[in-house]
Amino acid sequence: MKGKYYIQGLAAITPQHTFEGNLFSQPLVSTGSNVFAVTEPDYKTFIPANSLRRISRLLKMGLTTALKCMQDSGLSVPDAIVTGTGKGSLQDTERFLKDIRQYEERALNPTPFIQSTYNAVNGMIAVQQQVTTYNNTFVHRGFSFESALLDSMLLLEEGVSHTLTGAFDEISAEHFYIKSRIGHWKKEMVNSAELYNHLSPGTISGEGAVFFTLTAAPTAQSYARVAGLKMLYKPSLTALTTGLATFLSQYGLSAKDIDLVITGRNGDNNFEHYYRQLDLGLPQVSQLPFKHLCGEYETVGAFALWLGAHMLKAQQVPQQWFPMVSQFPATLNRILIYNHFFGDQHTFILLERTAAPAV
Amino acid sequence: MAERVFITGMGMITAIGDTVEANLGSLRQQQSGLGFTRYIDTIYKEVLPVAEVKHSTAELSTMAGVPNSPEYTRTTLLGLLAMQEALQQAGISDLQQEPTGFINASTVGGMCDTEKVYFDITDAEKEGDFLKYIDTLDCADCTQRIADTVGLTEYITTVSTACSSSANALMYGARLIKQGLLRRVICGGTEALTRFTLNGFNSLKNVDKRPCRPFDQQRNGLNLGEGAAYLVLESESLVRENNSVILAELSGYCNSNEAFHPTSPSPEGDGAFAAMKNALAMSGRSMADVQYVNVHGTATLNNDVSEGKALERLFGTQVPPFSSTKPFTGHTLAAAGAIEAIYAVLAIQHQVIFPNLNYSEKMEELSITPETRLLEQVPVNTVISNSFGFGGNNASLVISKYEG
Amino acid sequence: MEDLKQKLKVQIIEALNLQDTRPEDIDDNAPLFGEGLGLDSIDSLELMVLLERHYQIKVEDPREGRKILQSVQSMAEFIQSKQPA
Repeated sequence: MKGKYYIQGLAAITPQHTFEGNLFSQPLVSTGSNVFAVTEPDYKTFIPANSLRRISRLLKMGLTTALKCMQDSGLSVPDAIVTGTGKGSLQDTERFLKDIRQYEERALNPTPFIQSTYNAVNGMIAVQQQVTTYNNTFVHRGFSFESALLDSMLLLEEGVSHTLTGAFDEISAEHFYIKSRIGHWKKEMVNSAELYNHLSPGTISGEGAVFFTLTAAPTAQSYARVAGLKMLYKPSLTALTTGLATFLSQYGLSAKDIDLVITGRNGDNNFEHYYRQLDLGLPQVSQLPFKHLCGEYETVGAFALWLGAHMLKAQQVPQQWFPMVSQFPATLNRILIYNHFFGDQHTFILLERTAAPAV
Repeated sequence: MAERVFITGMGMITAIGDTVEANLGSLRQQQSGLGFTRYIDTIYKEVLPVAEVKHSTAELSTMAGVPNSPEYTRTTLLGLLAMQEALQQAGISDLQQEPTGFINASTVGGMCDTEKVYFDITDAEKEGDFLKYIDTLDCADCTQRIADTVGLTEYITTVSTACSSSANALMYGARLIKQGLLRRVICGGTEALTRFTLNGFNSLKNVDKRPCRPFDQQRNGLNLGEGAAYLVLESESLVRENNSVILAELSGYCNSNEAFHPTSPSPEGDGAFAAMKNALAMSGRSMADVQYVNVHGTATLNNDVSEGKALERLFGTQVPPFSSTKPFTGHTLAAAGAIEAIYAVLAIQHQVIFPNLNYSEKMEELSITPETRLLEQVPVNTVISNSFGFGGNNASLVISKYEG
Repeated sequence: MEDLKQKLKVQIIEALNLQDTRPEDIDDNAPLFGEGLGLDSIDSLELMVLLERHYQIKVEDPREGRKILQSVQSMAEFIQSKQPA
């Protein structure tokens, strides 16, 4: 793996105003309900009315983000579509379960069943953009997006010229309740902007759809270079420390070469020790937490990558989104993203400025 | 030069047998696994035949040597049994000796069990042990339980592309090896029958009330099945280092998309054609080298026309013997690609072609007919295995005899 | 028959979520699939669900379904033929 993967285009539908406009002037959106819903755009400009009438919320989010990403990258037909989703279309799964019960297995609408399939968004993108090449979907909690990213990197190594790589997850009221029963969310209501001041069991829930086009060669428009990726499954604290050191040294880097760490900190004191361990491994490196912007969900790593890519290209941090951070780095050449999903799936992504000076 | 990828171990459980050996026996005896369900709670219990594994979930947990508790869903247990056999067959006793990846495939995760308690889970009035099922709602749970039980700690992930899921898992694993990220990856899928899926396919009006009849003019849909299968893939260098026994080579693969319709294939089989053609090209084998095609052959009206057309387009008048083994195992969705990949290896190992059961009348759209006889002692060195799914997701694998 | 057709149009619009279509936009004899309303095979399954839920008529064979679902007219005729006079 040579590590030459450039982000040529991107798009995001998230709880923040990320779909249109200049993110560096968008206000911080917060919630006090412990569940962050996305700010939805007008889907009609992206999806033909005859398709729109039938498709459910997550499919609209996913498809629209993918199309916007293609627009942003100036490409219309990617060479591959690779995605990750932790839960797929919850609304369709819930509806089909309820229909089975309500109609006692008779005369069931097929649409929710079809759309509950985890690769439904991929299929829709393929149909709408006539993409007949490689198409894959990963569904492994906090590795879903990162596996899609790894698959895309393999494809670029294999000679594919560009991939459409993304992730999407939604939260429903019903699913929020279900996960509350196993302690995923805080019992007390917390203002999302104050998330990191409330260390207690659980976090806040969120959702989002984020897509990237990745290319093997940079252009003047490239946002950033994905330089490295590592997934660690249920590591011990020692394995996490070793994992980080090995990851950095693999690229000839040490802590001082990292300008900024985007961390998945989420105010959940059940798993805070992993982030503390990271602090030890990267002393004196500026940190940006991001879960107060989008909440916690399986494919939140895509949001972090989106944020990092924007910052590297613009060489600035959207400071209005980070009232809790007092100091920001002056230059941004190299960003490390560290995230984990409820302690099980840990991921490192190394992101570089397209024209970063060599170490 | 990228490493070659070899198959060095296999494990499986289906309605026709608890092991690879038992599956081979049933295939040879032409013993179908179709019948009525004993374990799913459905009004179609005695209406729609399914290919169910002949053990209760409690029995499966005993067989797998784990506690009979909610953490181990039927999906997990089927997978665990197949995994244990695959490890044993590959002669792997200590997974820590070589970093080993695990690429699993699942379409509905633990739905087989969670659908029974879902409305208790959403009911604030109810408390109990069933809350443990919450973790099993997604597709990652089964992968992690299997990994944790046998000690797979390196890279693990789960693929879900409907009926082609485990073919894509095999492909992804092979690519990880070719790129040098890992030298050993275990790939496959697991699928338990659920009321959810049965009703889903029934709502699409493509479940046959009779045993399915692939490539038959009178075919009227598929039958669902359950099972799990894993293949141990190893790089050539690891195989040399360990002197491992090579069962076959995964010599080619391709994933291609129809870009046509959410659930239906294109009438001319464009995706199937491209998948087979490119997989074969990658394998370096010629059209004439292909001695058997294990078709997707679900027996739905659309699949068989589309896949048949693709075979005719690719092979012209020289279409090799082909058969669908779905009348044996039912359509096992996420597990199908891996189950049929093992059947392809068995065909090569034992020089045998499995029959397409329940066939009687040629399809009017096609000039080809499936192989209906069990052919023994025939040369089988290269096999194409097809798996096609919703979302136009088509995957073809080429499995070849190892010839040095 | 006219009442039935009118009712069917409303039900079709609802079942298929044809937001910008009004009942009067649907011609009795216009083809529902392909051109016309531009429906596809999944819509045809949805319309079979409509027949079963609202009219207790079960269409088992998708091939038969295609004939019945040609137009509002053919659907109405089929419903009438199945109902006691």
